[in-house]
Amino acid sequence: MKSRKALLFWFSILGLIVSLTLLSSVLTPFEPNVMNMDEVYAAPSADHWLGTDHLGRDVLSRLLEGGKVTLTVASSSVLLSLIIGIVYGGISGYFGGVTDTVMMRLLEAFITIPALVIILAFQAFMQGGMWGMALIIGLTGWLVTARIVRSEFIRLKDAEFIQMAKMFRTPVWKILWSHLLRNSIPAIFVVTLFNFSSAIFMEVSLSFLGIGIPPAIPSWGNMLYYAQNDILIGAWWIALFPGLMIFITILAINFIGEAWKNPQRRRFND
Amino acid sequence: MTAKWVGKRIVMGIIVLFIVSFLSFFIVQAAPGDPAAAFYGGNAQTLTMAEKERITTAYALDRPITHQYVAWLKETVKGNLGTSYKEGRAVSDILLERLPNTLLLFSVTLFFIVIGSVWLGTVAGMKAGSIWDKGLSVFSIATSSIPAFWLGILFIYFFSVSLGILPSSGSEDVGGDAGILDKIRHLVMPAGVLILTHVGMYARFLQESIKKENDAYYVKVARANGVLERVVQLGILRNAAIPYLNYIAMTIPAFFGGSIIIESLFAWSGLGQLTVTAVVTKDYPVLMGSILVTGIIVVVSLFILDLMMYAIDPKLRKGGIR
Repeated sequence: MKSRKALLFWFSILGLIVSLTLLSSVLTPFEPNVMNMDEVYAAPSADHWLGTDHLGRDVLSRLLEGGKVTLTVASSSVLLSLIIGIVYGGISGYFGGVTDTVMMRLLEAFITIPALVIILAFQAFMQGGMWGMALIIGLTGWLVTARIVRSEFIRLKDAEFIQMAKMFRTPVWKILWSHLLRNSIPAIFVVTLFNFSSAIFMEVSLSFLGIGIPPAIPSWGNMLYYAQNDILIGAWWIALFPGLMIFITILAINFIGEAWKNPQRRRFND
Repeated sequence: MTAKWVGKRIVMGIIVLFIVSFLSFFIVQAAPGDPAAAFYGGNAQTLTMAEKERITTAYALDRPITHQYVAWLKETVKGNLGTSYKEGRAVSDILLERLPNTLLLFSVTLFFIVIGSVWLGTVAGMKAGSIWDKGLSVFSIATSSIPAFWLGILFIYFFSVSLGILPSSGSEDVGGDAGILDKIRHLVMPAGVLILTHVGMYARFLQESIKKENDAYYVKVARANGVLERVVQLGILRNAAIPYLNYIAMTIPAFFGGSIIIESLFAWSGLGQLTVTAVVTKDYPVLMGSILVTGIIVVVSLFILDLMMYAIDPKLRKGGIR
């Protein structure tokens, strides 16, 4: 009961953030990219609720617009890594044997290399835009998903109902799709949630380092990139609010994941 | 059996290093201009014909790409990583300069994370249902949701800008005597941020596995037979340590990634900061080298963890497979 209430609470927080950012084009009090040199580094006030940055741009407007960018990049990269993870883990788990061994050893090797290092290597060559970012984060984020899908498939494929389906000559694709994959959905959902929060972390970190989303597009990470200099002259509001948004978003996702995982913990801990 | 297990680990490490080396080689190949420029950067124009000839033969540039890879690998193993575009110095020298700082930050933070998480996790895990138990779960989720670099920015605001008690960046005072106290002053914030954002999740993992052991049959039997509580807890801790070490091994790559960002924020002059600057300034030889060294550090630390697990886990010694 308690965990259900918590789930509802964190879901509404997340829903609020997502809808605020999606409606940013309607809600923003100022144009997010319009500079106003008369109001550089204005502290939070009735006019600019969250203050302005080094170019006099409204922080609140950029926060909402930037959230849209950050969340779009994160969700599209998660979608990509979900697809790769399901295909890789599915093949490895269903076919087993040598295929499985080789694929898993390779995966273990990939897991050892910090994803950030791989992404840095790619970013050195293709400073792409938003979609380039989503692509790279997606391409490096599927490893854990693949692992979970594999262990779910292995757990399920010897179950009686699968044996039965095989006996009745159900086509392989049908077994894979409507038996194995469908029954793995709860586990996949949890790992995808955590994947989503790490995708946000990745985008934000890269943009913060100045090698993520181009500076012209506002994102939560980009805002923090400038904030590290602004903080030295005491403009704390530029740093505080984007970070707070990231923190609350990830907190909500993590709590949802925990609450979701709890009743079925026994199943995921193999 | 033991030899087989160790062999398997070593093979795994070698595979990882190969993948890392492919990644580095890819950087050399994808760098704009010809590979000679990629290796010798700004100095490429000043090379004489003879020197260019030497590079061509050394790196097999007139041969197919597989030969080039082998040749490149040979040079790399010899320690020849080319010359930095920016500084015009040998990449290996730059890397060696940066390495101690990174290892210092890495080992200090990991040391305190392990101490802190073992303490918190044990206290919370042994008293299921207590304030410690519930508190740690919330603390862990909350702290691992904070972007470490953002916490770092806030720290800079409080401790450097407002209070002015800690330096906001660098790994030592410029022109200072570079004493140990100076080093510690610079280390406090980057290490503190990393410890604070990571200690919770490790403690929570240990707490969970201690709770699981606490419910195990062998513990109940031991307690029923009146084995000293201290002895029981020691046994629990020993068994819970195995998945805990495994968890550290699994998360070390991500942890290392996090420290790259923190190094850049605090301008801590280590490998991570070097890597990021190399990406920004498109200094490909340096990038290549720092990626290689990062891979080696991760592989070596995983190997050390494996050895520790081997020492604790009798199943491994008797030839069982994890």
